[in-house]
Amino acid sequence: MLLGVGITFVAFVLTNVVPGDPAAANLGQRAIADPAAVTAFRAKYGLDRPLPTQYLIYLGHLVQGDLGQSEQSHRPVRDDLAEFIPATAELAVTSMLIALVLGMSLGILAAVRRNRLTDQVLRVVSLGGISMPTFWLALVALYLFFFRFGWLPGSGRLDPDVLPPPHVTGLFTVDALLAGDVPTFVNALQHLVLPACVLAAYNVGLLTRFTRAAVLEVINNDYVRAARAKGLPEATVVLRHVLRAALPPIVTIAGLGFANVMTGTVLVESIFAWPGIGQYAFHSATTLDLPSIMGVSLFVAVVYIAVNFAVDVLYGAIDPRIRATR
Amino acid sequence: MTAPAWRQPLALVGLTIAVAWTLVAIFAPLIAPENPLAESSALFQPPSAQHLLGTDELGRDLLSRVLWGARLSLPLALFLVSVALTIGGTLGGLAGYFGGWVEEIVMRAADLVFAFPTIILAMAVTAALGPGLRNAVLAVVIVSWPSYARVVRGLVLQLTNSDFVAASRLLGVSARRALVREVMPNVAGPVLVLATLDLGNAVLLLAGLSFLGLGAQPPTAEWGSMVNTGTQYFERWWLGTFPGLAILTVVLAFNFLGDSLRDALDPQSSWRGEGGGA
Repeated sequence: MLLGVGITFVAFVLTNVVPGDPAAANLGQRAIADPAAVTAFRAKYGLDRPLPTQYLIYLGHLVQGDLGQSEQSHRPVRDDLAEFIPATAELAVTSMLIALVLGMSLGILAAVRRNRLTDQVLRVVSLGGISMPTFWLALVALYLFFFRFGWLPGSGRLDPDVLPPPHVTGLFTVDALLAGDVPTFVNALQHLVLPACVLAAYNVGLLTRFTRAAVLEVINNDYVRAARAKGLPEATVVLRHVLRAALPPIVTIAGLGFANVMTGTVLVESIFAWPGIGQYAFHSATTLDLPSIMGVSLFVAVVYIAVNFAVDVLYGAIDPRIRATR
Repeated sequence: MTAPAWRQPLALVGLTIAVAWTLVAIFAPLIAPENPLAESSALFQPPSAQHLLGTDELGRDLLSRVLWGARLSLPLALFLVSVALTIGGTLGGLAGYFGGWVEEIVMRAADLVFAFPTIILAMAVTAALGPGLRNAVLAVVIVSWPSYARVVRGLVLQLTNSDFVAASRLLGVSARRALVREVMPNVAGPVLVLATLDLGNAVLLLAGLSFLGLGAQPPTAEWGSMVNTGTQYFERWWLGTFPGLAILTVVLAFNFLGDSLRDALDPQSSWRGEGGGA
């Protein structure tokens, strides 16, 4: 909560104290020469009031769920966010799932084969993942799979001639399935694959590294040896006994990884023309659209807090000892 | 059991690439075949013997531009990591040593920065200050100091409560001297690892901002903005591929180095994960 207020404050200070002039950004260079137009613009958006008053006005509206009006789209920021969030959510969640499955599998593999060739190769692969410029990977993927091979579509969430499924969740894949519309589902999925995989690259690297470390912490514990001594198959030992104990730190990193995804969306969405919050944030930032920037910042902060909360809850679910001590 | 950093193959590869790029950065004017800003009528030439990496949309030699790009990215990354390290390290050290309201303010400020995805905050900063390389660098510093503050604070806290520092205090050493002589040297190792890994992050973030058009402005030969050009003409694959490879190899080199350094400094945590906050 405190963090949330802090973020509104930072976003506010950032967009106000700095020399950028929203009037200039919105009216354009020619209109700026006309003092009357500038004054009118400032009065309209309350920019002529003292800054603390502006901040309080903003907070007051916020409490009522009013994020203000975007200076670019001339719509309430809340409506803008509601339109763009589902696209990003679909992308982010898919990419996170890919990263979790792939990263954890590779991490376990590296730990089981520690210090052998597989482990060394995976070390380089995971370092490669966290070193990858996302925007470049997106470009290469687009060139190869869309332009060269033509296997996958290159931009947007659906082909231009496919109508979006009836709105339920805003996630096109889920909505299409709910409507029983398989062709639309397949189309949405095809559009989702490339950006989601590109977005997952960094987190695959990150999760591989941390999963390996976490698994190594517990793999030589006595109870693991006991499980082996009982004659349980190695796969059962690793998946049932080792992984469960190794899960808490992995969950923490996955939480951090979600923040990376939010960063990545800005770059990936701009290349794949994905109409999500990343593109919206970029356009708001370049046009100095204050209410939108604050709206996006607030949304991101809420996601951050929610993810941290989810991590805490998961901790309790995974490890009863933590639940007991709270 | 763990070999020193320079004996590990990964460290060697990282070091070789880093040194090679440093040499390129220093000698780019001598080794680049052409002026990176010199336009010609040979537009969009694919890689050939004459233009090893091809030419771009204004007929500029891509190899020369990629080589000159090193002169921008490497020194800037070095500069902003040292600034972030100085600011974050000092604040974190003060927070850890004095505690109380100093710690409260510094760490809450760090939390606040952490709550924003780096690029969104950096984007807002550069957009507000106006696009340009200088403001992009400033933005990267603003988003990267907190990880140093966190790590240094944690280490200082841990060390000031350790027996050997307590012993030297008992021997009559002043608080300041204890901080400088006993605590600082033990902080240096982990911070060095973090800084090395952060060099890679700095290159990535700066290139990302330039890619979005918020950093280096045309016609500057900067890797991120060159990749951006590549997205505009993406059927001419060489435009974006080579500058991107430059970014990847530089970042990879720093990560190889940082990772091996960590192994060498802390054999227990052999290739673990990120340095800070985790």
